[in-house]
Amino acid sequence: MSRFEPRRFLLGLAAPVLALLVAVLVTSLILVITGDPVADVWSQMLKAPKPGQATDMINNAVVLYFSAIAVAIGFRMNLFNIGVDGQYRVAAFAAAAVGGQALLPGPLNIVLILLVAMATGALWAGIAAWLKVTRGVSEVISTIMLNSIATGVVAWLLAKVAAEQSAGSNDIGTKRLPDSSHLDGFVLLAGTQKKVYGLIVLAVVVGFLYWFVINRTRFGYDLRATGRSESAAVASGVNVKRMVLSSMLLSGAVAGMVGLPLLLGENYNYGTDFQAGLGFSGIAIALIGRNNAIGIALGALLWSYLDKQAVTLPIATDVDDSIVKIIQGVMVLAVVIAYEVVRRLGKRIEQQQVTRELAAQDRQPVAEGASA
Amino acid sequence: MPSTGTAVELHGITKRFPGVVANKDVEIVVRTGTVHAVVGENGAGKSTLMKILYGVQRPDEGTITVNGQQVDLRSPTDAIKAGIGMVFQHFMLADNLTVLENVVLGAEKLHGIGAGARKEIERISQAYGLGIRPGDLVADLGVGARQRVEILKVLYRGAKILILDEPTAVLVPQEVDELFDNLAELKSEGLTVLFISHKLDEVLKVADEITVIRRGTTVQTVDPKSVTARRLAELMVGSELPTPQTEDSTVTDEVALRIEGVTLGASAGPKVLDGIDLTIHAGEVVGIAGVEGNGQAELVEVVMGMRDANAGTIMFGHTDITDWHTREIREAGIGYIPEDRHRHGLLLDAPLWENRILGHQTEEPNVNGLLIDAKDAKRDTDRIVQEYDVRTPSIFVTAGSLSGGNQQKLIIGREMSHTPKVLVAAHPTRGVDVGAQSAIWDHIRAARREGLGVLLISADLDELIGLSDTIRVILRGRLSGEFDPDTVTAEELGAAMTGADTGTHADTKEEGA
Amino acid sequence: MRRALTMTVVATTLTLGLAACGSDSDTGSGGSGTGTGKGGGALKVGMAYDVGGRGDQSFNDSAAKGLDKAKSELGVSAKESEANTGEAESAREQRLQSLVDSGYTTIVAIGFAYAKSVGKVAKANPDVKFAIIDDASDDSKGDNVEQITFAEQEGSYLVGAAAALKTKTNHIGFVGGVQTPLIKKFEAGYLAGAKKVKPSIKIDSTYLTQLPDVSGFADPAKGKTAADGQFQAGADIVYHAAGGSGAGVFNAAKAAGANHWAIGVDSDQALTADPSVRSLILTSMVKNVNVGVYDFIKSVKDGSFKAGKREFALKDGGVGVATTGGHIDDIKTKLDPLREQIISGSIKVPTTP
Repeated sequence: MSRFEPRRFLLGLAAPVLALLVAVLVTSLILVITGDPVADVWSQMLKAPKPGQATDMINNAVVLYFSAIAVAIGFRMNLFNIGVDGQYRVAAFAAAAVGGQALLPGPLNIVLILLVAMATGALWAGIAAWLKVTRGVSEVISTIMLNSIATGVVAWLLAKVAAEQSAGSNDIGTKRLPDSSHLDGFVLLAGTQKKVYGLIVLAVVVGFLYWFVINRTRFGYDLRATGRSESAAVASGVNVKRMVLSSMLLSGAVAGMVGLPLLLGENYNYGTDFQAGLGFSGIAIALIGRNNAIGIALGALLWSYLDKQAVTLPIATDVDDSIVKIIQGVMVLAVVIAYEVVRRLGKRIEQQQVTRELAAQDRQPVAEGASA
Repeated sequence: MPSTGTAVELHGITKRFPGVVANKDVEIVVRTGTVHAVVGENGAGKSTLMKILYGVQRPDEGTITVNGQQVDLRSPTDAIKAGIGMVFQHFMLADNLTVLENVVLGAEKLHGIGAGARKEIERISQAYGLGIRPGDLVADLGVGARQRVEILKVLYRGAKILILDEPTAVLVPQEVDELFDNLAELKSEGLTVLFISHKLDEVLKVADEITVIRRGTTVQTVDPKSVTARRLAELMVGSELPTPQTEDSTVTDEVALRIEGVTLGASAGPKVLDGIDLTIHAGEVVGIAGVEGNGQAELVEVVMGMRDANAGTIMFGHTDITDWHTREIREAGIGYIPEDRHRHGLLLDAPLWENRILGHQTEEPNVNGLLIDAKDAKRDTDRIVQEYDVRTPSIFVTAGSLSGGNQQKLIIGREMSHTPKVLVAAHPTRGVDVGAQSAIWDHIRAARREGLGVLLISADLDELIGLSDTIRVILRGRLSGEFDPDTVTAEELGAAMTGADTGTHADTKEEGA
Repeated sequence: MRRALTMTVVATTLTLGLAACGSDSDTGSGGSGTGTGKGGGALKVGMAYDVGGRGDQSFNDSAAKGLDKAKSELGVSAKESEANTGEAESAREQRLQSLVDSGYTTIVAIGFAYAKSVGKVAKANPDVKFAIIDDASDDSKGDNVEQITFAEQEGSYLVGAAAALKTKTNHIGFVGGVQTPLIKKFEAGYLAGAKKVKPSIKIDSTYLTQLPDVSGFADPAKGKTAADGQFQAGADIVYHAAGGSGAGVFNAAKAAGANHWAIGVDSDQALTADPSVRSLILTSMVKNVNVGVYDFIKSVKDGSFKAGKREFALKDGGVGVATTGGHIDDIKTKLDPLREQIISGSIKVPTTP
């Protein structure tokens, strides 16, 4: 397409690689200072996961992928949906509660679950959008608050609709989905019985749609324009309020899918042991993946890889797994800085190149033009 | 002259920005105890030069000498230490604090924040006849008084050399006279004033010496006593200026845009726009002159649907578009060249071809149904780059990497490509080089021949006179009567712009609203 | 630009904040079990703690105490690891499996969060012996799993009775860490015991957080706020079942001044809490997780391991009431009959409030 593309690609790649290196360096430094075995830690961290673990990693990445895409939709127009966490929990709860009723047979019930989850997630995000559009409430504040409210609402409703507690269990949860509504997935890696979530297919579809809608549609153009310069978008005729509303709804709908792989392929109900906190990892992954569908996939895999290796780390090396949190945290910080550095660098290189090329052009026809 | 020493000497100052040389080989010598004016058109490089002198930006080449000592100004702090103070065009005062509090803010160490500071402020005010009372709340002060507070702030910090950036742009005529009295006072006390302006009559009135700057470089330093305004203008614009020539009138009877009674602003207090009535015919360019901040920007935003007027109607042909959204207005055929292309006209981080879509993201050739038609958009961007002579190595570079003139040509090309019936052009040649300026004018004239109606907002009188079929002047949200560009003089327009022509506009009760 | 900066700051804060949540270190003390086993035949025990791990001065610590005893008396070696907040189900499975893979063939999983993972990993590793604390559901059932639960309601019944006997304001309180069925067992017993003694007594109940927010077990500030409220409302004795948050409850009792008491939980907190507040701890409802852990390890060691459910109740010393400090010695004569009746079964303590 253009001669600038390869360089841009390389620059884009440089940032996360740089960030990862910085994270490794900083972490190693900390390990050295605390007198922990640096080499052991890295050899453990870099140990190839067994097929079973690798499958777990992929599964975890699938869940994180939905979360990060939901965040990225907001990011693309400078909206900060911190509420993915609350949105997916409310959505997963609603979907589990409805799905558990088995109102529809088999696969149709799965479709119903999907729709309920998306609608609930969108609704929950929509509250923040509505507050922003009508009252100017920052979505950062409102989504954080809605996370807390989600916790309370779900706990309260869960107590109301909870299925009969099985004897001896301390978990409470919604009614289990009928067997016909389970999506257990398929074995992807040889050497393990563990299955990859069936919804990995949905993740791929969502990733593609994300790319397509953002980059190929009018709506996506408006969204990106708003993110790049709200004032220019307004002048170009974008109805920013409507964009805020629709992008938050979309983000919420995708957030609604976060819990579905767990619901349909792991827990089969929404209970007190349903995984929480996935929305926050999504923010970090969206940053690392630079809001790019492929980048986010890689980011999610990397994040998941670190998460999983962290579990074994204290068992294998006696180094606390907090060190992995440090890696992740430093990586996010470093990646943000690295992107900014690379962005400025790219901009300067481009401007210099433009100046140079134009000067070269000008040398032939006009002598004085270059000095203007 | 009180002294023959030099306060400031700039030699060989050159400053490059990516794609642009803002200053080149600037030579200025300012004698101590004088008012030295630096004049030039908008975009000639005056602001950059002053930023260099105030330590905000560092020159790539050249030397700065203050009071005979060569200095390296890395920050405004350095500049203040060297005795240089700057009064910005846009005041930096906290409304809800008193004059005293504003003055001592950030300079608490000098005279404390209590009685000592108060005494010092009173002393300075007395010494230079500024008439400032330290206890007044800034919110209660008029524009002129605020400016004097800014000057006092600078003096308080010990400045002996004052830079005033376009100080009269915000003032009404009486306030301008007062300011000039103050400057004379400062001069008589041995202070040096650098006065930035593009208003020739003022400069001739107040300056002891005038340095003309054009396209980033100093052209000549002249004595105001031996130079005429015309000569000064020639120096400013250069002899190669493509002076716009009015051609045969192409004005038709067909109304392209009619604005009736448009009012913006609260019912109480001054209105930003006050009963604007304006008709633009097909083939007519209506120019709006005025000192900036008198409602031009708001008028444009109301027409473009970015703001809702409180009263009045806007008719596009026979259609009432008062309540339409910006997108509908643009789709209907109103092109828009925004005043601030970086904020309103371009996505600086996006490639040119994506910028070609901006503002027309529902129109051919940019879209295909609900999808963006990247292929056609790119092809059309190539066409625009060719036809409008946008100097760029490729349509894939970001808009931000182009020079201002080329950015503007891209915008013009984009708007013209949708054959608008009305074009709203705000300062279409601001900050662009001369070549681009003449090209842009040619494009507007060509479209006018085709029946385009143009609402032209400009601060450049030559542009207004050269392009317009009718000129109106806007002052404090109201439009004056019509002027014929063929017969009107700069003096007449200037009088209308400042409200000096009729008593009604210069009503002294309206304190610099 | 500025907006982008804000985002970055918030994102970083959140990410790091999250990291901080899950990073209670355990290696310092947990490392004691590493290194050499005592000879080739030493039993290798893998401990998987709940969130908080060793050092939480409560539930996990009690389990650790059992392990320590097994180490010194039975000569076992051990490896310890702990859960993180918000981790995936697969992480818990992986933790257990990693322990197994590292050669630890006697696994203790602390907390009901491990129910499903114990069930799965036990099935995959039939030669390994598992124990799970606080779960007796089908999820964790297996031929090689001992499901250990405690009759928390029975011990809570006794401290409830003690509180009702000791209160001067006829008003007592309960602070639960996280609203779960497990903690409700504590509340239920406490309420029943107090009402048995004084039917007219006023009892305030507060839960610090709702699932999935488990910070209520590790947030002393929340504990203090809740207990402060109860003390100010007139309660003079507050019982907590809030893990690490209990420290805040103790501080609140101290701040409330003389004649205000707190009741500890899980361990004998008059011995384990911060020295400055020990004198304010009326008694503690001791849940001897250590006994369960030790018994399990011992049973594996001497070959008497039996899969299935095992409840530790008042009668076998699984739960009890601490008397450190002697604050409840004067009402011993009133508590003992209640204890007898519970053991004999003539008092049935409810498990839900």
